[in-house]
Amino acid sequence: MQAQSYTVWFAVLIAAITAICQIIPGRTRPDLFFAVTVEPAFRRTPEGLRILARYRMILWVSAAVAIALAILAAMPLAAMLVEACGLIGALVDAHRRTLPHAVSPSPIREIDLPAAAPEQMPGWPVVQALPVVFLAALGAWAIRHMDRLPQRVPIHWGLHGADRWVEAAPRKIVALVGVHAMLCLMMVAMAWGVLHWSRRIAASGPAVLGERRFRQRLVWMLIVVEYLMPFPAAAALLGLGSRSITIWGAALTAAVVIFLIALVRAGQGGSLNAPDPGVPVGDRTPDSCWKWGLFYINPADPSILVEKRFGIGYTLNLGNRWAWVMLALVLLPAAFGLIFLR
Amino acid sequence: MTLRIDLGSSVPVYRQIVDGLRILLVNGELKAGDSLPAVRRLALDLGVHFNTVAEAYRTLAAEGWLETARRAGTQVVARTPQNPSDPAAAESFQRRLLELVAEWQSRGLAGGQVARELRRVAEGLERS
Repeated sequence: MQAQSYTVWFAVLIAAITAICQIIPGRTRPDLFFAVTVEPAFRRTPEGLRILARYRMILWVSAAVAIALAILAAMPLAAMLVEACGLIGALVDAHRRTLPHAVSPSPIREIDLPAAAPEQMPGWPVVQALPVVFLAALGAWAIRHMDRLPQRVPIHWGLHGADRWVEAAPRKIVALVGVHAMLCLMMVAMAWGVLHWSRRIAASGPAVLGERRFRQRLVWMLIVVEYLMPFPAAAALLGLGSRSITIWGAALTAAVVIFLIALVRAGQGGSLNAPDPGVPVGDRTPDSCWKWGLFYINPADPSILVEKRFGIGYTLNLGNRWAWVMLALVLLPAAFGLIFLR
Repeated sequence: MTLRIDLGSSVPVYRQIVDGLRILLVNGELKAGDSLPAVRRLALDLGVHFNTVAEAYRTLAAEGWLETARRAGTQVVARTPQNPSDPAAAESFQRRLLELVAEWQSRGLAGGQVARELRRVAEGLERS
């Protein structure tokens, strides 16, 4: 029964990912098509429509195979692998077919002067620090009241409640709140990075406003997720039970889905609400620095984060050494948990 | 008001930033107290090295147009006019003007066309 519900969950997840990938090409910047800078009208030409149809066909065929593997053969991991390969294959194929139609983006940059006030994180720094302060207080309380804690505390939950525990020892409690604090700090770092380490595509005119609103929504999403992050640690140490984790999971999913819908509706970088620039401007990154349309590697670019060419949000400039530091920080909570919560 | 940079031009970005800002400053479009984008911000938005922007700001600060403070960022300041009778500055100006004229002509602009452009600029200066 438990295995069956997992396979159904995997099938639903695969269908959801495929549905999102189906609509993504229509939500990128108008002059970027499968991560290639093109004339904004290209996507409506017969060739553009052919490339899109082929991409969607590969996408759904691989999704059908993956769902069959998940439900009929009960092989969820193999299903996810097929889905991932299908998605990357469809994207790389469409990218390759679009490349002959690439155009050079406008080299002109116009910057509005005098400079507008820099974009700020929501609230005072104390607002971003509160979840971490809460976790520190929770950890201190738990260590002072070890007698009130159960003998073992849950550290992981599956579809059917807690499935991994550790003994309630001070070292483990510090590790538990530490992992959650790192996740909170990671969210704050990503929000800060979006505001301060990424390039504005539109630096003048009315498009600036749409792009600014897009970034603010993304930053708010990260801060909301940050505020939800400490809950599993609190539930584990205060013995709140699996039902509370289910409610938390639903709240987290709902929050992320609501923000994602708002971001997808606005289009990548708020570009779908912006006026047509007339000439293709792309995303101010050279096509030649994008590998398969997915990975951006440009050592000459000072940006740590750049807009994704396929998808919504930002990705790392892997040619910048600070991007590797950021990547290491993203992996740190997982590594810390694996080492100290065994 | 905008600062326009052509990243495809053979003129270095540093020079384009200095020249573009200087025009806005001389024309009075940028006034004392106006803020300029931070070095890091402008470098990120243009996709150029931080030093390129920092060098441009330093040049304008040396001319007395800008002031850079750690917290307040870069701001336009009220500038005391420099000594116009400095012979070295006058000579440097003449040399740059001749270089610019030579560059225009080498790009195919006829002598008469260059003269007309220079006259138009001179008339604008006399009016102001």
